[in-house]
Amino acid sequence: MFAQGILRSARTGLLAGGLASGLLAAGLMASSPALAQETIKIGAPLALTGGLADEGHKQDVVWKMWVEKVNAAGGIPVGDKKLKVELIEYDYQSEGQRASQLAEKLINDDKVQFLFSPFGSGHTKIVAGVGERYQVPTIACVASSESVYDQTLKYLFGTLSPNGGMTTAMVAFFKEKFPQTKTIAVLGRDDVFPKSMAEGIAKAAEAGGLNVVYKELYPVGTMDHAAALSSIKAAKPDWIYVTGYTQDLILARKQMQDLGVTAPIVTMVTGPSYKEFTEGLGPLANGISSSSWWHHLTSYEGQGVWPTTAAFYEDFKARTKGDPDYVHGSCAAAGEVIVDALARAGSLDKAKVRDAIAATDIQTFYGPIKFGPNGMNLSRELPIIQVQDGTIKVLAPAAIKNADMIAMP
Amino acid sequence: MAIYLQIISNGLMLGALYACLAVGFSLVWGVLNVINMLHGSFIILGGYLTFFAWHLYGIHPVVMLPIVAALMFALGFALQKLVINRVVSAPVLTTLTLTFGLDMILYNAMTYWFTATPRRITLDLGAVDLGSVVLPVDRLIGTALALVLTLLLYGVMRGSSIGRAIVAVRMDRSAAELMGIRTDRIYAITFGIGALMAGVAGVVFATVFPITTNVTGIWLGKAFVVCVVGGLGSVPGALVGGLVLGLVESFAGHWFGPQQAITAGFVLMLVLLVTRPTGLIGVRGYE
Amino acid sequence: MRSGFPLYAAMIAGLLVLATTPLYADNYVVRTAAIVAMYGALATSWNFIGGFTGYPSFSTAAFFGLGAYVGAICQRHGIPMGLAWAIATVVVAAFAALLGGIILRLRGHYFAIGSIAVVELCRLVISSWSSLTGGGDGLNLPLMPWPPEQLMRFFLFVMLAILLASLIATIFVDRSRLGFGLRCIHQNEDAAAMVGINTTAYKIAAYTLSAMFCATAGAAYASWTGYIDPTDSFQIVMTVKVVVMALLGGAGTILGPALGAAAFVLLEELFWANFLDWNRAILGVVIVLLIFFLPGGLLSLGVLRRLRAAKVGGGK
Repeated sequence: MFAQGILRSARTGLLAGGLASGLLAAGLMASSPALAQETIKIGAPLALTGGLADEGHKQDVVWKMWVEKVNAAGGIPVGDKKLKVELIEYDYQSEGQRASQLAEKLINDDKVQFLFSPFGSGHTKIVAGVGERYQVPTIACVASSESVYDQTLKYLFGTLSPNGGMTTAMVAFFKEKFPQTKTIAVLGRDDVFPKSMAEGIAKAAEAGGLNVVYKELYPVGTMDHAAALSSIKAAKPDWIYVTGYTQDLILARKQMQDLGVTAPIVTMVTGPSYKEFTEGLGPLANGISSSSWWHHLTSYEGQGVWPTTAAFYEDFKARTKGDPDYVHGSCAAAGEVIVDALARAGSLDKAKVRDAIAATDIQTFYGPIKFGPNGMNLSRELPIIQVQDGTIKVLAPAAIKNADMIAMP
Repeated sequence: MAIYLQIISNGLMLGALYACLAVGFSLVWGVLNVINMLHGSFIILGGYLTFFAWHLYGIHPVVMLPIVAALMFALGFALQKLVINRVVSAPVLTTLTLTFGLDMILYNAMTYWFTATPRRITLDLGAVDLGSVVLPVDRLIGTALALVLTLLLYGVMRGSSIGRAIVAVRMDRSAAELMGIRTDRIYAITFGIGALMAGVAGVVFATVFPITTNVTGIWLGKAFVVCVVGGLGSVPGALVGGLVLGLVESFAGHWFGPQQAITAGFVLMLVLLVTRPTGLIGVRGYE
Repeated sequence: MRSGFPLYAAMIAGLLVLATTPLYADNYVVRTAAIVAMYGALATSWNFIGGFTGYPSFSTAAFFGLGAYVGAICQRHGIPMGLAWAIATVVVAAFAALLGGIILRLRGHYFAIGSIAVVELCRLVISSWSSLTGGGDGLNLPLMPWPPEQLMRFFLFVMLAILLASLIATIFVDRSRLGFGLRCIHQNEDAAAMVGINTTAYKIAAYTLSAMFCATAGAAYASWTGYIDPTDSFQIVMTVKVVVMALLGGAGTILGPALGAAAFVLLEELFWANFLDWNRAILGVVIVLLIFFLPGGLLSLGVLRRLRAAKVGGGK
C-alpha cells in the first residue's frame, strides 16, 4: 500500500514535470530571439512510416546525398557569402493532417526558408497550402497532377512535367507501332495521380480514335482485381492500361497472369519506373510498358553538384547499390532549383527568392527545369519505357531509345 | 454464362483465403473475448518470414509452413502469457486499445526492418484452363491449404484434449476452472493458435498477394467482416463467412464495378450485425 | 464531494493557457494549442458514449470526416463558412441519430466492430461518390487570404469554442437526468431499462452528442487546411487515438478526456522531433504502459483526484 503510494506520487511528479517542461521548452523556444542566419534551412515533411514509406525513403536518400555534396563544396553562394545547407526532416507517417502540422513546425520552429514537399499530389497540396500562407517557397518533386498547380499557389514549384503530356504522346506512339490497336481497357486507382492518369488516357485514347471498352476505378485498399480483370477479359481489348501504386500493380499483373487476361499492349503506370515493380514480379514484368518522367539512360548535362546524368548515376549506385528512378532524379534536382535561384537573387529576401525561382531556366542532370506560369516544369518529351528480359528499356523519345517495342509475350 | 462460372470460382478461391486469414482471429475473439488488432500484422509477419527465407536462402514456402507455424505460435503464446493476459478480463475498450498499441510497435518494427516495399514470392505456377473457367494453380493450392489447415484446426478443436479444453473455456470459463482446466494456459495456447493461423495464412498469401506492411489494416478489416458474417469462435463459421465474403465481393465487383466491391462486404457485415449478430451459422450466447 | 469549484477553476485555467498562447509563443505553439483544443473536443465528445455510457465506440473519425466533407461541399456551393459548419453539425448529428438507432442495439465487442466498420464504410462511400465529393481527388476549399498569424489565432479560438461547448454540454449532461441514466446504462443496461429508463433514447442521445462536436471540428478543420481527401479524413488511427486520449485522461470524468488530449499531443510533439523512425512504436509503448500502469487515467493520480467531479464507479 505504502509502496504503491510512493510509486503513484513519483508517477504524478514525473508526469507533471514532463508536461511543465514541455510547455516551458515551447515557451523558451518561442521567446529566444531568432539567431542570425548562418545556414540555409530546407524543411522536409517525409513519409518515413505508413503507406508511403518507400517513396519517403527515396526522397530522403537523394536529399541527403545532395546536401553532403553541396556542403562538401563549401555551401551555396548567396551574394558574397557561401552558406551551408541544413536539411530538417520529420516523419509525417503518411497522414495528411500531420504533414500540414509538420510543415508548420518546420516554418515556425525550425525557421526553414524552403520546403521540399512529400511524395504524391494529395500531400503536396496540403504542404503547399502551408508554404503559401507563410510565403515559403515549396519545391515539389513528386507531384504531377495539374490540379495541384491549379490553385494559384504562387510559392509552389514542381520539377515534374504535367502528366497530361504522358497520355497523348503514348497513344500516338503505340498506334504507330501497333496500327491494329483499336480498343483500350482502363483500370485506375481512385487516388489523385492514378485517377488523373486513368481519366487522361481514356480521353487521349478517344481523341486518338480508340474505343474505350472498359473504364473503372478501384478504391484504395483493394486486394483483389479478379472481378475487374474477368470483365476486361470478356471485352477483349487490344490495350490494357492499369494505374496504381506498386503493390496494386504487382497484384493486378499477377492476377492477369492467373486469369489468362492479356493484350498485345499492357501498360502499367508508373509500375516499371520503380525497380520494386520488376523485382516483385520477376519474369511476369516482361513486356509491360509505362511512361516515366526521367530515366538514368538519358544523357543530360548541366549545372549543379552533378554535371551529367552519368555522374549522378555513379554516385547513386555507389551509395545505394541500386538504380535510381524518376523520384530520385526529380528530387535530387529540386535542390538545384534553390541553388540557382539564390545565386541570382543574391539574398535571402523571401519575395526576391520566390521571383528568382519563378524565373528559373536551367539545365541539370535531370533535364531542363523551367517553370510555366502555374509553377510546373514545362512539358518535354517524356520517356516511354518497357520491361524486356527483366531490364528497363527506353522506347521513346528517339534520342535516348535503346530498344524496339515488343508485344506482350 | 461462362463469365459467371469464372466469377463464382474467383469468389470461392478468394473466399477460402479469407477463411484462412480469419479463422485465428475468430478463435481468439470467441475464446478470449479479445479483438486482436495485431492479427493483420501477424499475417504480414508470416509472409515476410516466408519471403526472406525464400529470397535469401531459397527455402521453399512449403518447408517454411511448419517453421512459421512454430515461430508464430511461440510469439503468440508468449505475448498472451506475458502481456495480454494481464488485462484479459477487462472490457473490450481496454483489450482492443492494448492490442492496437502492440500492433503499432510490431508495425513500426516491420516497416523499419523490412521497409514498405511490396514483396512477393514469384513461384507463378501457371493456371488450369478448363475452357470457360481459368483456375490459377497457386490460388488453387492456397485454397486447398487454407481448407486443409482450417479443417485441421477443426479436428484439433474437436478431437484433442486441448481442443476440448479450449471449447470448454469458451463456453463457461468458471465452470472450466472448476473442472481443473488452467484457463491462463488455455488462453495462451489459444492466442498462440490464433497467431499460428495468421502466420500460416501469411505463408499462403506470400505467393498470391504482395506482402507489405501497408496492407495489415486491410487484412484485419477482412477478418472483422468474415467473423461477423460467419459467426464467432467457430471454425465452420469462419469458413462460411470467408466463402460468403469472397462471393459477395466477386459478384459486386462484376455487377457494380470494383468501386463497390469492398463496400458491399462492409454493408453485408453491418446488415448482419444488426439483423443476425450471431452470424450466419453462429451459436447464440456469444454476443 | 460534488463541489464544482476546483473543476471550474481547472477548466478555466486550462482554456486560458491555450487561449493566451498567441501572446507569448510563436505560430507553431499556437497551432499546437489549436490541435490540443481540437482533440480535446473530440475526446470530450467521445466521452458521452464511451465514458458515460460505457459503449466502446470507434466512430469518431467517421463523424469528423463526414463533418469535413459536408462543410467543404457547402462552402464550395457558396455557403458562408460559419453557416457551412453549422450545417455540417446538424447533418452529422442527424446521421448519428439514425445510425445510432441501428447499431446501438449491439453491445460490447459487436458494437466496437460495428462502429469501426462505419468509419471504413463512410470512406468508401465518400470515395466512390465522386460527382459530389471529388472521389479520390479530394476537395479544395477556398484558401483564406489572411496572414498566417491571424488565421492561426482565428482557428485557435474556433477550436477552443468547440472545446468549450463540448465541455459545457458535458457538465450539463453530468448534472442532468440524462447523465444519471447513461451511468445506469453503463452499470447495468438491463437493470436500467427495468427501472424505467428509456435506454434506447438515452443511448441515441449520447451517440448523437458524441458526433456533433466532432462534425463541427471536422468542418472547421477542412476550412483550415483547405484540402481534404477520403483517406486522410477517415482514419482508423485517428479514431483509436481519440479513445486513447480519453482513457489517458480518465474516461467518464468531465475534464479527463481534454486533459488526456493535451498530454497525448504534447507527447507526440516530443516523439516526432526526437525519434524519426520509431515514433509510431514509441506511441504504441505509451499505450501499453497506459493500459498497465494508469488504467484509471491521469485523473486517478493523487493530486489530480480532486478534479474528478464525476466518475462512473468501477465499470463492469
